[in-house]
Amino acid sequence: MEYPVEQIEELKRYCSAVRGLGEGNAVYLYLEALRLPAGCEPSECNALLRPFAGADGYPSQLYFSVQIRAPYGKNWNVLNARICEKNWFAFSWKASAAPRSPLEALLNHLAALTQPR
Amino acid sequence: MENRVVDILEFAERGEGVPDGSSYRVRIDGKAFTIHTSDPTGESLLKEVGKRPCAFELIEEFIDGRNDVVEPEERVDLRKKGLKGFLTAHKEIVPISINDKPYRIERGDRTVAEILGKVGETAEGYVLLEEKSGPPMPMPPDRRLKIEGCEVFHTQPQSGGSS
Repeated sequence: MEYPVEQIEELKRYCSAVRGLGEGNAVYLYLEALRLPAGCEPSECNALLRPFAGADGYPSQLYFSVQIRAPYGKNWNVLNARICEKNWFAFSWKASAAPRSPLEALLNHLAALTQPR
Repeated sequence: MENRVVDILEFAERGEGVPDGSSYRVRIDGKAFTIHTSDPTGESLLKEVGKRPCAFELIEEFIDGRNDVVEPEERVDLRKKGLKGFLTAHKEIVPISINDKPYRIERGDRTVAEILGKVGETAEGYVLLEEKSGPPMPMPPDRRLKIEGCEVFHTQPQSGGSS
C-alpha cells in the first residue's frame, strides 16, 4: 500500500518524521514525536496511525507509544498491543466514517483526545 | 547626499522643521529606531517593534500633545513639523480568521463556544482547531483562549464517539 507524497507531507506538519511500517499486507504510518493538543501530558509522543479499517471494526485507529493524560479521562482499552514490532496504547473511540485522508484520520483522533465524549 | 541621520525628536523639541536626511531616528514606544526613508508606512513602523496591525494601532505623537492614528497602509511624513515619535496601543476589537474568513471579536479571554458561535457552530457538533506556531490543533471545548488579534482558527465536524 502506497500513500501519495502530498498526504505524507500534510502529516509532517504534526511530527518530526513520518515513515511507513508494514504489518501483514498493510502499511501503518509511524509518526515520530507527534505533537499533541493543548492540555495533554506529555505534549508529544511517538504514534502509529492506521488510516484504514482494521480487524477491530474501527474505520481508523491512532496508537500512542504511551498513555496520554488528556483534558478528559479516556478509556484506554488497548494496552501494549504489539504492532510493527512495537508496543502501543489506544483509547476507546470510533470514528463515524472512513477518513478521506491520513490527515483527516489523525485530526479526528487528536480531536477525540480533547473532547469529553 | 551626505550620510546624515536626522533625529526627529530633537527638531520637534526645538520647534524646527525636519531637514532631509539619509535616514531618520524615530522613537516608537520610547525606543529609538533608524528608518531609511522619510515616508514609511504605518505597518512598517509597527514591524520595527515586532507588532502587527491586526492587533495594534500606531499613533503619531506631536510635541503639542496631539495624537493621530496612522492606518497600516498610510504613509507617514517623518519630516512633518512637531512630530516627536510614535506610540502603539492594543486594539479592542480585533480581527481573527475562522475557516479562512475574517471575523472581528473583542480582545481578551474568549471561550471555544464564543469563537464557534461566530460561524454559527456549537461545541456539540464541531471541534475548534487553533493554528498557533504550528499546524491546526484541536482545542478542548472548555478552554478559554486569549485573543489578541490575528489568531487563526479552523473548525471540523465531530466525527465519532467513545466506543
